Amino acid sequence: MKRRRMTEILIEGNPELAARLASEIRHHYPVRELVAPRQGLTMIKMRETAKQSLFYLGEVLVTEAKVEIGDHIGVGIVAGVREELAGNLAVIDAACRAGLSETAGWSAMLEAEEIRLADRKRRELAALEKTKVQFDTMEE
Amino acid sequence: MGYVAVKGGTEAIEASIDRLKYERLKGGKQVEVSAILSSMRLLIDQVMSEASLYSPELAALAIKQAEGSMEEAVFLLRAHRSTLPRLYYSETVEPERMAVERRISASFKDIPGGQLLGATHDYTHRLIDFSLLDEKEEERNQWMEQYEAELSALEKATGDGTYPKVVEYLRNEGLFESFEPDNTEPDDVTKNVFQFPASRSERLQILTRGQTGAVTALGYASLRGYGQVHPTVGEVRVGQLPITIPAHGGEDEDDSYYIGSVRATEVESFVPMPSKGPDGKQELRFEIGYGICYGQNETKAIAMSILDQCLEHPGSDAPPHDEEFVLTHVDTVESTGFISHLKMPHYVTFQSKLDSVRNTRKGRDGHES
Repeated sequence: MKRRRMTEILIEGNPELAARLASEIRHHYPVRELVAPRQGLTMIKMRETAKQSLFYLGEVLVTEAKVEIGDHIGVGIVAGVREELAGNLAVIDAACRAGLSETAGWSAMLEAEEIRLADRKRRELAALEKTKVQFDTMEE
Repeated sequence: MGYVAVKGGTEAIEASIDRLKYERLKGGKQVEVSAILSSMRLLIDQVMSEASLYSPELAALAIKQAEGSMEEAVFLLRAHRSTLPRLYYSETVEPERMAVERRISASFKDIPGGQLLGATHDYTHRLIDFSLLDEKEEERNQWMEQYEAELSALEKATGDGTYPKVVEYLRNEGLFESFEPDNTEPDDVTKNVFQFPASRSERLQILTRGQTGAVTALGYASLRGYGQVHPTVGEVRVGQLPITIPAHGGEDEDDSYYIGSVRATEVESFVPMPSKGPDGKQELRFEIGYGICYGQNETKAIAMSILDQCLEHPGSDAPPHDEEFVLTHVDTVESTGFISHLKMPHYVTFQSKLDSVRNTRKGRDGHES
């Protein structure tokens, strides 16, 4: 599974899933902490729709962690103050970069969580669609 | 009279800070940060927007510490931000990827995808709701349970929460000029002091982090005639913008890191402008004023779209078209800081002014006598 998709599932989904996957790796491999979870900033680059040019919208507070498994460095980055999740994401990232055998069995769990998230989103969208205006043309 | 250096006041300052704490605590009831986070959504949005730092948790804490003062809360966040390292720059956020929670158009009744009201105070009676004085937890829970039960009974939606932009349909009709994506790296006013004339990226960055009241006042001034822009709102949307960070050395978008999303309000205002047609004759075409800010703050985003359009046309003598006038006066920390500094000791400055006034009067009185 590609990183963009996986990180969205792990960040938007139940943080227990990231904790479980990271725990599995920590149990079997030595994980060296390079950067303990810390707070920092990410500047958001945005495209505006009037002239299609770029500008900076502002910064977002993030928590970042870095670990090493063997020769592979993993990075965990998440918006907000979420130290435990950032640490777990870093371990998962390093495990994926290293191609550890455990990662091969993660797809089913991640996909199940993705389905749960999509279901939640569809419910949320249905709730928002209740606020959609149905215009009636007034008769003379 | 010579200068005299003075010092002192340390004990008075310490006592003053104790007094400040006393004022915050003396009521005997304290609001938890979690309660601010849960119930002061729009206040948090405004603080984050003016601080140019998206962090609901820190904004809620700053609001508590500042006893609800906007300018203090924004100052606290800006100060805290300056202590943190900037670790990353995001990939370009494309606005059409916003997961829309609210979306309306004042220009067209029927827009592709429809008008989605979402959560808004627009259609509420502006009457004080005295029932909130004694809002019972049990009643709240009951309302929530009932509302959630109604929602769970709804048929699930099929879309992904994104909507087409109204302006794209008009561009396809040739009523608006189309632009190719311009990927020129933006300037950053937090890294370099900007100079006039400012670049478009600097203007947008300053306006989006501007004080809500200041941006609104200057946009309003243009509507009232101190400016030449009176637009029709093409689209206002509020929603979540997904944020991603590129993987080190990676070009593949699928390989980037998703880090979360930020809620923002985005506005495109339509402004008719005279221009020359292909036959050289004068005709009207539409231009777009662009506004955006963190959180849900539609007044600020609409006002920003007016000022964006004003600053694109600096020919007018009206103040909202003067970028030096607009850009140097809309920042919360700069304006409140400069006004507040007048409270600081100016003993020597004032003594000098006093001497001048006395000497002038002495001279005049002497001449008259």
